[in-house]
Amino acid sequence: MDILLILILLLPLAGGVINACFGSRMPQPVPVFIACGAVIGSFLACLGSLTLAAGDGYRLVLFTWLKSGNFQADIGLLYDPLAAIMTLMVTGVASLIHLYAAGYMEDEPDQVRFFALLNLFVFAMLTIVLADNLLLLFLGWEGVGFCSYGLIGFWYRKTENADAGRKAFIVTRIGDLFFAVALLWLFALFGTISIEGINAQVSGLEVTTVTMISLLLLFGACGKSAQVPLMSWLADAMAGPTPVSALIHAATMVTAGVYLLCRMFPLVSLSSTAMAAIALVGIVTALYAATCALAQNEIKRVLAYSTMSQVGYMFLAVGLGSVSAAMFHLLTHAFFKALLFMTAGCLINLAGHENDIRRMGGMRQRSPLVFWLFLAGLLCLAGAPLTSGFFSKDLILATAFAHGDPFHLGLYGLGVMVAGLTSFYCFRLAYLVFAGDFRGDELPHEPSALMLWPLYPLAILGLTAGLLNLPHLFSGGSWLSGWLGRTQDVLHLSISIEYLLIGTAIAVFVLGWLLAALRYRKYSERQPSLVGEFLLNGWRVDDLFDLLLVRPFKKIGRFCSQGVEAGLIEGVLNGAARGCTDLGMRLRGLADGKVSAYLQGLVWGFVLIVGWFLLRALV
Amino acid sequence: MTAIMATDFPLLSLLLFTPLAGALMCLVIGAANGTNARWVALITAGIVFVLSLVLCLLQTPAAGWLLYEDYSWIENFGIRYTLGLDGLSSVLILLTAFLQVLAVLVSWRQNHAPAIFFALLLILETAAIGVLLALDLILFYLFWELMLIPMFFLIGVWGYKRRFYAAVKFFLFTLIGSLCLLLAVISLYLLHGEQTGVYTFALEALKQTELSGTQELIFFLCFMAAFVVKVPLFPFHSWLPDAHAEGPAAGSVDLAGLLLKTGVYGMIRFAFPLFPVAAQKTMPILAVLALVGLFYAAWVAFQQIDIKRIVAYSSISHMGFVILGLAAWNQTAWEGSVLLMVNHAVTTAGLFAVVAMIEQRTGTRALDQLGGMWKSHPNMSAFFLLFCMASLGLPGLANFAGEILILIGVFTVKPLWAIIAVVGILFSAVYTLRLVQGTLWGSSCEPHDKQDLVPREWLVLIPLAVLVVLLGCYPQPVLELLREPVSSLLMSGGLP
Repeated sequence: MDILLILILLLPLAGGVINACFGSRMPQPVPVFIACGAVIGSFLACLGSLTLAAGDGYRLVLFTWLKSGNFQADIGLLYDPLAAIMTLMVTGVASLIHLYAAGYMEDEPDQVRFFALLNLFVFAMLTIVLADNLLLLFLGWEGVGFCSYGLIGFWYRKTENADAGRKAFIVTRIGDLFFAVALLWLFALFGTISIEGINAQVSGLEVTTVTMISLLLLFGACGKSAQVPLMSWLADAMAGPTPVSALIHAATMVTAGVYLLCRMFPLVSLSSTAMAAIALVGIVTALYAATCALAQNEIKRVLAYSTMSQVGYMFLAVGLGSVSAAMFHLLTHAFFKALLFMTAGCLINLAGHENDIRRMGGMRQRSPLVFWLFLAGLLCLAGAPLTSGFFSKDLILATAFAHGDPFHLGLYGLGVMVAGLTSFYCFRLAYLVFAGDFRGDELPHEPSALMLWPLYPLAILGLTAGLLNLPHLFSGGSWLSGWLGRTQDVLHLSISIEYLLIGTAIAVFVLGWLLAALRYRKYSERQPSLVGEFLLNGWRVDDLFDLLLVRPFKKIGRFCSQGVEAGLIEGVLNGAARGCTDLGMRLRGLADGKVSAYLQGLVWGFVLIVGWFLLRALV
Repeated sequence: MTAIMATDFPLLSLLLFTPLAGALMCLVIGAANGTNARWVALITAGIVFVLSLVLCLLQTPAAGWLLYEDYSWIENFGIRYTLGLDGLSSVLILLTAFLQVLAVLVSWRQNHAPAIFFALLLILETAAIGVLLALDLILFYLFWELMLIPMFFLIGVWGYKRRFYAAVKFFLFTLIGSLCLLLAVISLYLLHGEQTGVYTFALEALKQTELSGTQELIFFLCFMAAFVVKVPLFPFHSWLPDAHAEGPAAGSVDLAGLLLKTGVYGMIRFAFPLFPVAAQKTMPILAVLALVGLFYAAWVAFQQIDIKRIVAYSSISHMGFVILGLAAWNQTAWEGSVLLMVNHAVTTAGLFAVVAMIEQRTGTRALDQLGGMWKSHPNMSAFFLLFCMASLGLPGLANFAGEILILIGVFTVKPLWAIIAVVGILFSAVYTLRLVQGTLWGSSCEPHDKQDLVPREWLVLIPLAVLVVLLGCYPQPVLELLREPVSSLLMSGGLP
């Protein structure tokens, strides 16, 4: 069984390394086969080893990575129910996305680099999921950062793409710093970085310390999960190829933050302040991103903001103390968002490589099949009744409601509002893309079969994944909560309240739909309003960061290199050098070869010495 | 003082003088024919590498010297020829020997007086190894100064346009530091002689000298003057960017790989154990300088146009990290410092090697004229990306292993220092990504030489790349070699 567990990690790593080193020397389809095979193999290995994870989980230490003094970091795996369900999702969705990518990138000459990075990304993501200690988790954490850097900037010939990649790397790394400090602190406190070791010892800690560490972890999670205030990289990351957006920016990497908080939940949950902060970050991001999504013109940017917003819901769930609600939404979201992104890729191809929804329209005629698939995804995202998104979102909102105090009721209210906004922008997208006639002038580029068939399983999963954690009201058994060993997350509300909550959710969904239908059913050119412009630019947060961070950084840099380095240090050195030269010149003047001057010196020297001795003799 | 391996054969002297013999051979055989000189240099460097590898493999992770040689040399002044090899020196010697092979390969096409060029490289190697082996202060000083001369000529003769300026700057900086060192060594010798009646330059004996607080502080500062310049620590760094930018590629590899290491080695082998009280008193100052340098160099690197200067400043920034680890004064941080020193040498050697290759193909090192190299030279670019990622501290690659150990060691003592240093990791990402952006991505400059890597360059880059990954994923063998020496050095320095 150990070997299966190792294979989960090893296969994507091997695939990535082999492709990176030898891919370009192999005949064309081989690297693609290797990449897809590695991930599918990893998925099968995960399926095969699933029983290991049940209950208390399974631990496996491979070798010691770093050991010095009393610090030790192992390459070790912790395969518990939480990790197992995440591994299954990551490898499963990644397999489908790899297959899709094989179709999508068919004509790309630099395929090998793409697939090598994609495999390495899956490896890094799985490292996050399976690591039994924080340092190994950090390896995966930074690893996904690097891979997404390479993948976002995959078409590096355009500088904007490379810049978007760099922005993603640096902004997420800001979050990583906080994570790193939390890691150092935890080691200083406990003398171990093992996740289980830390979680077992937290109960003795002071609350302020727990709060501080939890907030550090939260900040770290914000970076990777594109939450306020470290969110601005995600929308730009859409510069990458669509399969990348599906894999990294929808299904896996952005959920890493949620996963980290779930992994460290015993620690985080000790501090109510930290929990409130997590919930707040979640709801603020959900609201922020939903408003931004209202005004976006590029299909992938709408989806990017919706991702941010949905991950906000997951943070909210963690902040509410419900790991199973967070994981439930994480899973359903992974399915339908991967579906949405990949269908969006098909749509962009069908519209003749057009990204802008103002130049789409009438896409239903171009491909009814893609229409239905995309619609399925949108319905899940909007929370249409009985889709997976409906159940998972409802669980989060109901949990907030069940807390009962004003703070949580407020969160509930905002959450419902975001749900309405979500429904609105989903149907806005649907109407703009599918209704009316095609407004562009490009010819369609038919997606290949390989791009279409991975979408079916995702569509089915997206529509039905609600079954994973079906509440009692629908005669379900909350299987996911049971599997995660978190039966305390199962809500026991009275039937009337349940119906009230469900009724509200449906009402909000319909309201959003109706408003969107009213406004967007018939397309009309609109002058962008001031508010629209503001939302389109993501509340101008980039400008703010530019003003607060980037420019001061550059200014200090200029000061250091021109002021201090070239001015002060070189100045002092050159001054000293010139001083030496001057002194030398003066001294040279003394020895200029004029005998009269020497004689003068001799006489004066004699007078001085004799004078000195006379003086001493006299006094 | 006993060696663990009892052998009468002067293995250390063999190791030490093989390069020197090679240098003479170079001059004799290679004078007429440059190719001969190259091969002699390569074979000599190879032999030294194999020797030092064997010595490393022979090491057992135990305290004490693996090999020890002690002969009387200038009896009138109590100067002895004492060499000792422990885990610390064998790791650094292995690194030196390894990089030297690469330095020879990197400058294979050196056509300007190759015999002298390669002879100088080999003399430099002898000097560096001597510094790492010597346990007699005069012997140490001798090798310390000997490093200066070949480097001066390497920069001054085989460098770029402003080579003479750079060479003189390098020479003056290091010479002033060294003279302080010499002064302190002689005074210490006299003082020790007066106290005990035994006039000796032996390190172990001099450790016993009784010093007043002021004396100790002055001696310590004199020693440090020599070492911080070599490291180099902010604000004594300004010779390094010039030396790198104007020196030949092999010079840069040697500077980063050999010379900078000797500064830190000098601190932990000589300055700290000889003057532990003064050392610990001044640690905060050292830490502050290290931290300032860490950020300052990063900021300056961010502003540079010349890619070789960017790498040079990144070197200074990383050495700030190393010194910070030393200032924490505990096992984890010190092991991290030495590990980072080794890893940084490998990474930086790789960066300088690729920079030289880029320059060869495009004829420029200016960031604004480069770009899109991945299109024309994918293999070379892949190596460059790997080394850059290692340099910005990506976990799983070389530098991270050292950095995290330093951070952990520092955090347990002074959390604030560590937190500030963590931000430095972000800075390294900022300037390194700018470097990557400007060279690999974007639209293409038109390199006149479309040739991707040639076999000789593969031969240089593959070992470096393998090491970068290996040291990042499994640095345990190095750490095990370091454990005992570092802990005994810490002990002799007195634990805080």
